[in-house]
Amino acid sequence: MNPLLTFVVILIGFYGLSTSTNIIKSVFCVTIIESGVILLFLNLGNLDGGVIPVIGDTLPVGGIADPLPQALMITTIVIGSTVTALALMLCIKVFHHYGTVEWAEILSRESGK
Amino acid sequence: MIKQFVLIGLLAILFAVFFVSMQDIQELYNTFGKDYIAASGFADTGSRNLVTAILLDYRLFDSLFEAGILLIAVSGVIWISKHEIEEKNAQFMLDKFNTPDLFVTFSRLVYPLMLAFGFYVIINGHVSPGGGFQGGAIVATAILILYYIDADKETNIGLIVTIEKILYIAILLVASLSIVTRGEFFTNFFALDASADTKAIYLVLLNVMIGMKVALGLWTIFTAFLKEGR
Repeated sequence: MNPLLTFVVILIGFYGLSTSTNIIKSVFCVTIIESGVILLFLNLGNLDGGVIPVIGDTLPVGGIADPLPQALMITTIVIGSTVTALALMLCIKVFHHYGTVEWAEILSRESGK
Repeated sequence: MIKQFVLIGLLAILFAVFFVSMQDIQELYNTFGKDYIAASGFADTGSRNLVTAILLDYRLFDSLFEAGILLIAVSGVIWISKHEIEEKNAQFMLDKFNTPDLFVTFSRLVYPLMLAFGFYVIINGHVSPGGGFQGGAIVATAILILYYIDADKETNIGLIVTIEKILYIAILLVASLSIVTRGEFFTNFFALDASADTKAIYLVLLNVMIGMKVALGLWTIFTAFLKEGR
Protein backbone atom coordinates (compact mmCIF):
# COMPACT_ATOMS: atom_id res chain seq x y z
CA MET A 1 0.00 0.00 0.00
CA ASN A 2 1.31 3.37 -1.00
CA PRO A 3 2.03 5.95 1.74
CA LEU A 4 0.08 8.49 -0.36
CA LEU A 5 -3.03 6.35 0.01
CA THR A 6 -2.71 6.41 3.80
CA PHE A 7 -2.53 10.19 3.65
CA VAL A 8 -5.83 10.15 1.76
CA VAL A 9 -7.31 8.33 4.78
CA ILE A 10 -5.95 11.06 7.07
CA LEU A 11 -7.43 13.77 4.82
CA ILE A 12 -10.82 12.02 4.84
CA GLY A 13 -10.66 12.24 8.62
CA PHE A 14 -9.80 15.97 8.43
CA TYR A 15 -12.72 16.58 6.05
CA GLY A 16 -15.13 14.76 8.33
CA LEU A 17 -13.81 16.62 11.37
CA SER A 18 -14.47 19.99 9.68
CA THR A 19 -17.92 19.17 8.34
CA SER A 20 -19.50 16.87 10.94
CA THR A 21 -22.33 18.40 12.96
CA ASN A 22 -22.48 15.65 15.58
CA ILE A 23 -20.06 15.20 18.47
CA ILE A 24 -19.98 11.40 18.14
CA LYS A 25 -19.15 11.71 14.43
CA SER A 26 -16.29 14.05 15.34
CA VAL A 27 -14.93 11.40 17.71
CA PHE A 28 -15.15 8.82 14.90
CA CYS A 29 -13.25 11.18 12.58
CA VAL A 30 -10.44 11.48 15.14
CA THR A 31 -10.32 7.66 15.13
CA ILE A 32 -10.12 7.65 11.31
CA ILE A 33 -7.17 10.09 11.41
CA GLU A 34 -5.51 7.81 13.96
CA SER A 35 -5.99 4.77 11.69
CA GLY A 36 -4.41 6.71 8.82
CA VAL A 37 -1.40 7.60 10.99
CA ILE A 38 -1.01 3.95 12.05
CA LEU A 39 -1.10 2.77 8.41
CA LEU A 40 1.39 5.49 7.41
CA PHE A 41 3.90 4.47 10.09
CA LEU A 42 3.59 0.77 9.27
CA ASN A 43 4.19 1.61 5.58
CA LEU A 44 7.26 3.71 6.29
CA GLY A 45 8.68 0.85 8.37
CA ASN A 46 8.38 -1.58 5.49
CA LEU A 47 9.37 0.43 2.39
CA ASP A 48 11.76 -2.19 0.96
CA GLY A 49 9.69 -5.27 1.80
CA GLY A 50 10.30 -7.93 4.42
CA VAL A 51 8.56 -10.35 6.74
CA ILE A 52 7.42 -9.90 10.35
CA PRO A 53 10.24 -9.07 12.79
CA VAL A 54 10.27 -12.43 14.58
CA ILE A 55 13.63 -14.08 14.02
CA GLY A 56 14.81 -17.65 14.45
CA ASP A 57 18.45 -18.66 14.70
CA THR A 58 19.15 -17.00 11.34
CA LEU A 59 17.62 -13.90 9.76
CA PRO A 60 14.82 -14.42 7.20
CA VAL A 61 15.90 -14.38 3.55
CA GLY A 62 13.96 -11.31 2.41
CA GLY A 63 14.93 -9.22 5.43
CA ILE A 64 12.58 -8.06 8.17
CA ALA A 65 10.26 -5.09 8.53
CA ASP A 66 11.48 -2.29 10.81
CA PRO A 67 10.26 -3.23 14.33
CA LEU A 68 10.50 0.30 15.76
CA PRO A 69 7.38 1.79 14.02
CA GLN A 70 5.44 -1.34 14.96
CA ALA A 71 6.40 -0.94 18.63
CA LEU A 72 5.37 2.74 18.47
CA MET A 73 2.04 1.86 16.87
CA ILE A 74 1.13 -0.58 19.67
CA THR A 75 1.39 2.44 21.96
CA THR A 76 -0.80 4.48 19.61
CA ILE A 77 -3.50 1.80 19.36
CA VAL A 78 -3.82 1.32 23.13
CA ILE A 79 -3.79 5.05 23.90
CA GLY A 80 -6.16 5.76 21.00
CA SER A 81 -8.74 3.25 22.22
CA THR A 82 -8.69 4.63 25.77
CA VAL A 83 -8.85 8.26 24.61
CA THR A 84 -11.80 7.35 22.37
CA ALA A 85 -13.51 5.76 25.36
CA LEU A 86 -12.90 8.91 27.43
CA ALA A 87 -14.28 11.13 24.63
CA LEU A 88 -17.40 8.98 24.23
CA MET A 89 -17.98 9.08 28.00
CA LEU A 90 -17.80 12.87 27.81
CA CYS A 91 -20.34 12.71 24.94
CA ILE A 92 -22.74 10.81 27.21
CA LYS A 93 -22.33 13.48 29.90
CA VAL A 94 -22.94 16.25 27.32
CA PHE A 95 -26.10 14.44 26.18
CA HIS A 96 -27.35 14.15 29.76
CA HIS A 97 -26.70 17.86 30.34
CA TYR A 98 -27.99 19.37 27.08
CA GLY A 99 -30.26 16.65 25.72
CA THR A 100 -28.52 16.77 22.34
CA VAL A 101 -25.13 15.99 20.79
CA GLU A 102 -25.36 18.47 17.87
CA TRP A 103 -22.57 21.04 17.86
CA ALA A 104 -24.71 23.92 16.50
CA GLU A 105 -27.51 23.45 19.04
CA ILE A 106 -25.12 23.28 22.02
CA LEU A 107 -23.17 26.34 20.83
CA SER A 108 -26.33 28.42 20.26
CA ARG A 109 -27.64 27.45 23.71
CA GLU A 110 -24.33 28.38 25.34
CA SER A 111 -24.17 31.76 23.57
CA GLY A 112 -27.82 32.48 24.42
CA LYS A 113 -27.11 32.28 28.16
CA MET B 1 -21.34 25.36 -0.70
CA ILE B 2 -18.42 27.77 -1.10
CA LYS B 3 -17.12 26.59 2.27
CA GLN B 4 -16.93 23.03 0.97
CA PHE B 5 -14.89 24.10 -2.05
CA VAL B 6 -12.49 26.09 0.13
CA LEU B 7 -12.14 23.09 2.45
CA ILE B 8 -11.44 20.67 -0.38
CA GLY B 9 -8.91 23.16 -1.79
CA LEU B 10 -7.12 23.34 1.56
CA LEU B 11 -7.05 19.55 1.84
CA ALA B 12 -5.69 19.36 -1.73
CA ILE B 13 -2.89 21.77 -0.73
CA LEU B 14 -2.09 19.53 2.28
CA PHE B 15 -2.00 16.49 0.01
CA ALA B 16 0.31 18.30 -2.43
CA VAL B 17 2.69 19.20 0.43
CA PHE B 18 2.72 15.58 1.53
CA PHE B 19 3.23 14.38 -2.06
CA VAL B 20 6.26 16.67 -2.49
CA SER B 21 7.73 15.63 0.85
CA MET B 22 7.38 11.93 -0.02
CA GLN B 23 9.36 12.30 -3.28
CA ASP B 24 12.79 11.75 -1.72
CA ILE B 25 11.69 9.24 0.93
CA GLN B 26 13.86 6.51 -0.61
CA GLU B 27 16.96 8.69 -0.10
CA LEU B 28 15.99 9.72 3.43
CA TYR B 29 15.15 6.16 4.43
CA ASN B 30 17.97 4.15 5.92
CA THR B 31 18.13 0.73 7.53
CA PHE B 32 20.76 1.34 10.23
CA GLY B 33 18.36 0.99 13.14
CA LYS B 34 16.66 -2.02 11.62
CA ASP B 35 19.98 -3.73 10.92
CA TYR B 36 21.26 -3.08 14.44
CA ILE B 37 18.13 -4.48 16.08
CA ALA B 38 18.05 -7.48 13.73
CA ALA B 39 21.71 -8.26 14.38
CA SER B 40 21.89 -7.80 18.17
CA GLY B 41 18.26 -7.71 19.37
CA PHE B 42 18.13 -11.39 20.32
CA ALA B 43 21.58 -11.34 21.98
CA ASP B 44 20.80 -8.16 23.94
CA THR B 45 17.29 -8.93 25.15
CA GLY B 46 16.67 -12.67 24.72
CA SER B 47 13.49 -11.96 22.77
CA ARG B 48 12.94 -13.53 19.35
CA ASN B 49 10.08 -11.11 18.73
CA LEU B 50 11.96 -7.87 18.05
CA VAL B 51 8.88 -5.70 18.70
CA THR B 52 8.77 -7.13 22.23
CA ALA B 53 12.54 -6.53 22.47
CA ILE B 54 11.93 -2.80 21.82
CA LEU B 55 8.79 -2.58 24.00
CA LEU B 56 10.17 -4.37 27.06
CA ASP B 57 13.91 -3.66 26.90
CA TYR B 58 15.24 -0.99 24.57
CA ARG B 59 12.39 1.47 25.09
CA LEU B 60 10.72 0.19 28.27
CA PHE B 61 10.42 3.85 29.33
CA ASP B 62 7.74 4.39 26.63
CA SER B 63 5.78 1.27 27.59
CA LEU B 64 5.69 2.26 31.26
CA PHE B 65 4.19 5.65 30.49
CA GLU B 66 1.81 4.04 27.99
CA ALA B 67 0.53 1.80 30.81
CA GLY B 68 0.31 4.93 32.98
CA ILE B 69 -1.79 6.75 30.38
CA LEU B 70 -4.09 3.71 30.26
CA LEU B 71 -4.50 3.89 34.04
CA ILE B 72 -5.18 7.65 33.92
CA ALA B 73 -7.77 7.21 31.13
CA VAL B 74 -9.53 4.44 33.08
CA SER B 75 -9.61 6.64 36.19
CA GLY B 76 -10.98 9.50 34.07
CA VAL B 77 -13.74 7.33 32.61
CA ILE B 78 -14.78 6.17 36.09
CA TRP B 79 -14.64 9.70 37.50
CA ILE B 80 -16.72 11.17 34.65
CA SER B 81 -19.27 8.34 34.78
CA LYS B 82 -19.94 8.76 38.49
CA HIS B 83 -23.54 9.54 39.30
CA GLU B 84 -25.92 9.43 42.22
CA ILE B 85 -28.17 6.57 41.12
CA GLU B 86 -26.98 3.29 42.62
CA GLU B 87 -26.75 0.40 40.18
CA LYS B 88 -25.61 -3.03 41.22
CA ASN B 89 -25.26 -4.81 37.88
CA ALA B 90 -25.64 -4.39 34.16
CA GLN B 91 -28.92 -6.31 33.97
CA PHE B 92 -31.02 -3.37 32.75
CA MET B 93 -28.70 -2.95 29.73
CA LEU B 94 -28.33 -6.54 28.56
CA ASP B 95 -31.78 -8.04 28.85
CA LYS B 96 -31.37 -11.75 29.46
CA PHE B 97 -34.66 -12.66 27.83
CA ASN B 98 -33.98 -10.71 24.64
CA THR B 99 -30.53 -12.22 24.04
CA PRO B 100 -30.82 -15.04 21.44
CA ASP B 101 -30.27 -18.53 22.89
CA LEU B 102 -27.91 -19.39 20.03
CA PHE B 103 -25.71 -16.42 20.95
CA VAL B 104 -25.59 -17.42 24.61
CA THR B 105 -24.73 -21.04 23.78
CA PHE B 106 -21.96 -20.08 21.39
CA SER B 107 -20.62 -17.58 23.93
CA ARG B 108 -20.31 -20.42 26.43
CA LEU B 109 -18.46 -22.53 23.86
CA VAL B 110 -16.13 -19.75 22.73
CA TYR B 111 -15.39 -18.22 26.15
CA PRO B 112 -12.76 -20.74 27.40
CA LEU B 113 -11.11 -20.87 23.97
CA MET B 114 -10.77 -17.07 23.87
CA LEU B 115 -9.38 -16.99 27.41
CA ALA B 116 -6.84 -19.71 26.58
CA PHE B 117 -5.83 -17.98 23.33
CA GLY B 118 -5.39 -14.68 25.17
CA PHE B 119 -3.09 -16.26 27.76
CA TYR B 120 -1.20 -18.03 24.96
CA VAL B 121 -0.60 -14.71 23.18
CA ILE B 122 0.52 -13.07 26.44
CA ILE B 123 2.89 -15.82 27.61
CA ASN B 124 4.46 -16.42 24.18
CA GLY B 125 4.91 -12.70 23.53
CA HIS B 126 8.71 -13.02 23.32
CA VAL B 127 8.89 -15.89 20.83
CA SER B 128 5.88 -15.31 18.56
CA PRO B 129 3.77 -12.34 17.38
CA GLY B 130 1.85 -10.96 20.32
CA GLY B 131 2.62 -9.62 23.77
CA GLY B 132 1.03 -8.10 26.81
CA PHE B 133 -1.00 -5.38 25.12
CA GLN B 134 -2.51 -7.54 22.38
CA GLY B 135 -3.15 -10.55 24.63
CA GLY B 136 -4.65 -8.30 27.30
CA ALA B 137 -7.16 -7.00 24.76
CA ILE B 138 -8.13 -10.59 23.83
CA VAL B 139 -8.56 -11.58 27.50
CA ALA B 140 -10.68 -8.47 28.11
CA THR B 141 -12.94 -9.40 25.17
CA ALA B 142 -13.31 -12.92 26.60
CA ILE B 143 -14.31 -11.50 29.98
CA LEU B 144 -16.87 -9.21 28.33
CA ILE B 145 -18.62 -12.26 26.83
CA LEU B 146 -19.44 -13.26 30.43
CA TYR B 147 -21.95 -10.40 30.50
CA TYR B 148 -23.92 -12.09 27.73
CA ILE B 149 -23.76 -15.49 29.44
CA ASP B 150 -24.85 -14.20 32.84
CA ALA B 151 -26.32 -10.70 32.87
CA ASP B 152 -26.81 -10.80 36.66
CA LYS B 153 -23.07 -10.84 37.25
CA GLU B 154 -21.95 -8.10 39.60
CA THR B 155 -18.70 -6.30 38.96
CA ASN B 156 -16.90 -4.48 41.74
CA ILE B 157 -15.23 -1.68 39.79
CA GLY B 158 -13.46 -0.30 42.85
CA LEU B 159 -11.71 -3.63 43.50
CA ILE B 160 -10.64 -3.98 39.84
CA VAL B 161 -9.16 -0.47 39.76
CA THR B 162 -7.33 -1.10 43.04
CA ILE B 163 -5.79 -4.29 41.59
CA GLU B 164 -4.84 -2.32 38.47
CA LYS B 165 -3.08 0.38 40.51
CA ILE B 166 -1.16 -2.24 42.51
CA LEU B 167 -0.19 -3.97 39.24
CA TYR B 168 1.09 -0.67 37.81
CA ILE B 169 3.27 -0.08 40.88
CA ALA B 170 4.53 -3.69 40.60
CA ILE B 171 5.40 -3.11 36.92
CA LEU B 172 7.32 0.04 37.87
CA LEU B 173 9.19 -1.86 40.61
CA VAL B 174 10.12 -4.77 38.32
CA ALA B 175 11.27 -2.30 35.66
CA SER B 176 13.37 -0.39 38.21
CA LEU B 177 15.01 -3.55 39.59
CA SER B 178 17.72 -3.21 36.95
CA ILE B 179 19.20 -0.16 38.70
CA VAL B 180 20.17 -2.48 41.58
CA THR B 181 21.48 -5.38 39.51
CA ARG B 182 22.87 -3.64 36.41
CA GLY B 183 23.14 0.02 37.35
CA GLU B 184 20.83 1.13 34.52
CA PHE B 185 17.25 2.33 34.55
CA PHE B 186 14.39 0.40 32.93
CA THR B 187 15.95 -2.67 31.33
CA ASN B 188 16.27 -6.39 31.97
CA PHE B 189 17.38 -7.06 35.56
CA PHE B 190 19.42 -10.09 34.52
CA ALA B 191 23.02 -9.53 33.42
CA LEU B 192 23.62 -8.66 29.76
CA ASP B 193 25.54 -11.90 29.16
CA ALA B 194 22.94 -14.18 30.75
CA SER B 195 21.44 -16.90 28.56
CA ALA B 196 18.32 -16.21 26.50
CA ASP B 197 16.23 -18.58 28.64
CA THR B 198 17.15 -16.67 31.81
CA LYS B 199 16.26 -13.34 30.22
CA ALA B 200 12.94 -14.81 29.07
CA ILE B 201 11.86 -15.04 32.74
CA TYR B 202 11.87 -11.26 32.95
CA LEU B 203 10.09 -10.88 29.58
CA VAL B 204 7.32 -13.35 30.51
CA LEU B 205 6.88 -11.74 33.95
CA LEU B 206 6.51 -8.23 32.53
CA ASN B 207 4.30 -9.45 29.65
CA VAL B 208 1.93 -11.20 32.08
CA MET B 209 1.70 -8.15 34.34
CA ILE B 210 1.09 -5.73 31.43
CA GLY B 211 -1.45 -8.14 29.93
CA MET B 212 -3.41 -8.38 33.19
CA LYS B 213 -3.30 -4.61 33.57
CA VAL B 214 -4.61 -3.97 30.03
CA ALA B 215 -7.35 -6.62 30.46
CA LEU B 216 -8.53 -5.13 33.77
CA GLY B 217 -8.44 -1.59 32.31
CA LEU B 218 -10.54 -2.45 29.26
CA TRP B 219 -12.96 -4.46 31.45
CA THR B 220 -13.41 -1.41 33.69
CA ILE B 221 -14.08 0.89 30.73
CA PHE B 222 -16.70 -1.49 29.31
CA THR B 223 -18.44 -1.85 32.68
CA ALA B 224 -18.52 1.93 33.11
CA PHE B 225 -20.23 2.26 29.71
CA LEU B 226 -22.76 -0.45 30.60
CA LYS B 227 -23.67 1.33 33.83
CA GLU B 228 -24.15 4.55 31.86
CA GLY B 229 -27.09 3.13 29.87
CA ARG B 230 -30.24 4.17 31.68
